[in-house]
Amino acid sequence: MLGDSTLVFIAIGAIFAFSFYAVLVAGQLSLGQAGFAAIAAFGSVTLGPSPDQVGDLPALGIAIVIGMLLGAAASVVLGLPTMRLRGVFLAIATLAFAEAVRILIVNSESLGGAGGLAVPKVVTPAIAWVALAVVAYWFWRQGPSRYGRALAAIREDELAARAMGIDVGRHRLQAFITSGAVAGLYGVLWAYFVRLIAPEDFDFAAAIDGLVTAVVGGSTLFIGPVLGSGFLTMVPEVQRAVGIEAGWLRPVLSGVLLLVVILFLPGGLASFIPRRLRMPASTESETHGTLTTRTHPRPGDQVVRLHGVTKEYAGVHALRGVDLEISGGEIIGLIGPNGAGKTTLVNLISGLVPSSSGEVEVLGTRPGRTPVHRVAAAGVSRTFQHSKLFGRLSALENVLVGAHLVSRPTFGRRLLWLPSARRDERQALAHAARCLQRVGLGEKARVPAAALSYGDQRRLEIARALAADPSLLILDEPAAGMNQPEADSLSDLIGSLADDGLTILLIEHNVGMVMRTCSRILVLDFGELIATGSPAEIVDNPAVIEAYLGSAPDEERSR
Amino acid sequence: MRKTLTVATVAAMALTLAACDSESSGGGTDGELVGEGSGADCSIDAPVPVGAALSLTGGAGSYGESQRNGLELAVAHLNDADTGVSYELRVEDDQTDPRQGITVFEGFVDGGESVIIGPTLSNTAFQAQPIAQEGGVPVLAISNTADGITEQGDFIFRDSLTEGQVIPQTVAAATEKYGLENVVVMYSNDDAFTESGYQVFADSLEEEGVQVADTLTFSVDETDFRPLLTEAAGQDPDALVVSGLIEAAIPLVTQAREAGIDVPIIGGNGFNNPQLMADAGDAAEGVVVGAAWNSASDSPENTEFLAAFEDEYGHQPDQFAAQAYAAMTIIDTAVRHSCSGERTDVQDGLNNISEVPTVLGSVSINADRDVEHEAVVQIVEDGEFAVLD
Amino acid sequence: MVDIQQLFNGLSLGSLYALFAIGFALVFGILDRLNLAHPAVFAVAAYVGIDLVTSLSISVWLMLPVVFVVGALLGLVIERVAFRPLKNRPDAHFAGLISSIALAGVFIALLQGTYGPDTHRFPAEALPETTFTVAGAQISLVQVAILVISVLLVVALGFLVARTRLGRGMRAIAENPTAARVLGVNVDRVTATTFAISSALGAVAGALFALNVNTAQLGMGSAIELKGLAVIIVGGMSSLPGALVGGLLLGVAEVFTVQYIGSSWRDLVAFALLFLILVVRPQGLFGKRKVREV
Repeated sequence: MLGDSTLVFIAIGAIFAFSFYAVLVAGQLSLGQAGFAAIAAFGSVTLGPSPDQVGDLPALGIAIVIGMLLGAAASVVLGLPTMRLRGVFLAIATLAFAEAVRILIVNSESLGGAGGLAVPKVVTPAIAWVALAVVAYWFWRQGPSRYGRALAAIREDELAARAMGIDVGRHRLQAFITSGAVAGLYGVLWAYFVRLIAPEDFDFAAAIDGLVTAVVGGSTLFIGPVLGSGFLTMVPEVQRAVGIEAGWLRPVLSGVLLLVVILFLPGGLASFIPRRLRMPASTESETHGTLTTRTHPRPGDQVVRLHGVTKEYAGVHALRGVDLEISGGEIIGLIGPNGAGKTTLVNLISGLVPSSSGEVEVLGTRPGRTPVHRVAAAGVSRTFQHSKLFGRLSALENVLVGAHLVSRPTFGRRLLWLPSARRDERQALAHAARCLQRVGLGEKARVPAAALSYGDQRRLEIARALAADPSLLILDEPAAGMNQPEADSLSDLIGSLADDGLTILLIEHNVGMVMRTCSRILVLDFGELIATGSPAEIVDNPAVIEAYLGSAPDEERSR
Repeated sequence: MRKTLTVATVAAMALTLAACDSESSGGGTDGELVGEGSGADCSIDAPVPVGAALSLTGGAGSYGESQRNGLELAVAHLNDADTGVSYELRVEDDQTDPRQGITVFEGFVDGGESVIIGPTLSNTAFQAQPIAQEGGVPVLAISNTADGITEQGDFIFRDSLTEGQVIPQTVAAATEKYGLENVVVMYSNDDAFTESGYQVFADSLEEEGVQVADTLTFSVDETDFRPLLTEAAGQDPDALVVSGLIEAAIPLVTQAREAGIDVPIIGGNGFNNPQLMADAGDAAEGVVVGAAWNSASDSPENTEFLAAFEDEYGHQPDQFAAQAYAAMTIIDTAVRHSCSGERTDVQDGLNNISEVPTVLGSVSINADRDVEHEAVVQIVEDGEFAVLD
Repeated sequence: MVDIQQLFNGLSLGSLYALFAIGFALVFGILDRLNLAHPAVFAVAAYVGIDLVTSLSISVWLMLPVVFVVGALLGLVIERVAFRPLKNRPDAHFAGLISSIALAGVFIALLQGTYGPDTHRFPAEALPETTFTVAGAQISLVQVAILVISVLLVVALGFLVARTRLGRGMRAIAENPTAARVLGVNVDRVTATTFAISSALGAVAGALFALNVNTAQLGMGSAIELKGLAVIIVGGMSSLPGALVGGLLLGVAEVFTVQYIGSSWRDLVAFALLFLILVVRPQGLFGKRKVREV
């Protein structure tokens, strides 16, 4: 029952599923892989030498190179205009591409039209499994690398990933190109095994097959596609072996089985395999080592400068003519009633939204014009008012993503098994663990972020932001949901960070805490900066009292 | 908990695999398929295992189903006749998927089948039949019409006429009958069967000196032909020549008549299906169908087949069923030739098929292992196929 | 003359695309999910409709409301089996695609089990073969009926979403499911109802389609599936008027491709059109750009 062809189909089915896995790990749903595979299959058969001329293996080797290059090239061509699309839109756009490829091949006489092209059979089970092993190795090494974590972060929360300094566009395109190359490999192996390639082999149903295999296997662990392909290839085999009569009953059973797996195994088949979480050996022994360290602006150096900044949302002025300067080492408190424009201001400074008019300059970048990840790279790190953690990643992994900017890329060296990659990873882990300990989450490193309590999530946000070794740390309501002792220790933490040379912008409703922590306070009301000064000055400022009494008194809101 | 689950899964998988190993059934290798006597007196103790790889589900599901009906009926007839040789038919579904086609063929080769019938589609045939060739198992194709099927090796035979054996005489007969000068050709271009049919149509039309005013293509799963028919009607043709499957034939023919196109419609093997009259009704009148099987033939074999089929399945057979039925007649003759169900003996027998009476008429297999018998040009008259003369 | 005939061919085909696509659009607009079991409902409805007319010899006009109900029931099944269990999963996007594909596979296999793999059709006499001649173009009663029924259903649906309590619930969920729940919307029930309506429309589209082309096939849903996806992208993913206009546009574009470019390229038009729209105007012709909240 495990005949040669079954073995080959498990292997190349898994390779095809890996081409979906490659983008699913980054949260992209693409259905264009059938198109890449078609281009690779027809391209390599047409352009490559025949096995009669150069021998079986060389011919296959050359075909694989051609096919993977064609697949990768096609993915660039498709990726450039579509990379900004998300979710289902990307899926449909890529599907349209694949169908267009298929129709073009059908209409092309030189490629045999519907009758297809005859191809010599070269692929054996051994070849197919070696190819699968190489692909699986690639994704195995990719997973826990800096690159792999960045992709996982993009999958979990693209915006937060951006704010952690990850160049989302580039990472997504890279994942897409990987997918194209792997799909190309599949196309070539398919062609050199089945003896006849026809456009119908690469239709919508084929793409769906690949996607189903990847999802059933599990798209968070590298072994998933292999499990998925093994499972789905064996279903008809087992049905035959068990003696279910050929006909409509079999698809009914396979459909039900597929439903059961999808509904009851959220992580796919790979969820049977326990995930090993790497923990740092010790947090104290190693110093920063190869981690990049930043020179923070000295006290008095300009960190943030806003001049005449206005932000409109559909006619509503969220900010009006704000002028603001923050210099190195300051702890700035930003307060104001709900809807005063605090979060808008923070989004402007971190580059998430562009201003409608006025100038914004932060650490030498122009947020709004400079991409978010470059603003982050300049040293801006932030937490979010509504927690934007990477829910399915552990607390430690969240912080590791935060350390993206200060750690070195490790994927390439992990592929080659270089010791330096291991050392770098160890140092990043130790750094992340230190950040976790600093906010008091050292014990919860293994817990998935989504499973943490609200207060712990706030703290994890801070640890993640801290891991980037920022010069300007923006904390958007970090104390929300904390009790007084917790808020006090947060206050102490902020103080100690300032001592390390960080500039801090703290948005908080807990006015008491702001007063205690900050060196200078800004008050926003209806988008305008109505007061700025030391805590003592602010308390006595009539405009502030007016603003606060005009809405709810602040004491009620501080818990 | 999770650990228990993992252990359970591994155990289950191991069990399944073990079950599979013990399953592979032998047969045919230890000489029990060699019988005594010869020809009609041949007697073999063990039933001769016959494998059929058909598309029972998926896109080609309706053909596979027809073929299964034809095969099962034929095997039942042969076994009931109790003439010394019996057959054990194993029908497998290739799901209209090349992967399954290849796997099923491999299963038959490893499983000891004496001869393999199928597969349903030509493209699958190119992918799967070489496995039988390498494994030394004779294959009898029953619906593949593409060129090159039997060139894959000396174990590959077929009982289905190629388009080249059917269409030229269809075109010639229709041209003569209707004085065709100017036609519109329509075919589905994403299907190997209909595309190869189109090639032959185009060549034959050129041969006969008929002008092709326009060639229109459609997708194999297309059912709305109005835009194409409007386009075709604009050419004011003497006939529509269509290479399509029955799924396309019914909507195409009915929509053409609705659109007021009353010229003859000429089709190939794909149209040779009683469903055309059943579903298209009056619209099917005057449709000319060139085909490998003359359903109106009054040969004893055919009359008996028609009656038995209708009796068993409640509807009339189509060409796929007839060619499948004939396959078992041919295989039975081949087995009796050396009175053996051994693979090479069956191959030898198939090479010696000459003027065997079947539902398709008197059938011979030529040196290229292709079938030869009379093709027929039919026309739909009063809801039935009649021979066009 | 040919042009007017083709225009009408395109409009009647396009209105079916629209009716089918609106099912996609409705569910997507509210749940952000693609229901890939929708094409299976399309096929099942056609077979059931044919069975009703053939076996029970009820008239086509009575068959349509029955099929509507059958479709609604299938919609409830789809929601309950393939979507509700996934509600709170972080991977609901992918998982919903797969579970609905699996369910679609089951539906089609059961359909084959019930009616066999052969094609079926409405009896030729199910509808009178009345044809109208408009400006030299032949237009059949079926084509007119399809256009009228499709447009009526889309308009009725538009009214339902815009004016009724149910519609307000739908819009609230589309905006923010959590907030909708807080505001007292019964999210589960509104979601289920949405699926029911979506599938009911898909079902009517399936029956009308089979009536229009004189055939029903197991694969008819997958044949129209990609067109439906193209339509909702062109029209704007969750926009109902967009789906209508997108459908008509695609129908007409296809027909004129046959006329002026060549029939081989007919299917390419849908994909070229949607690719163009995605690159130039990703929110579709009628869609609104969603404002992302931080």
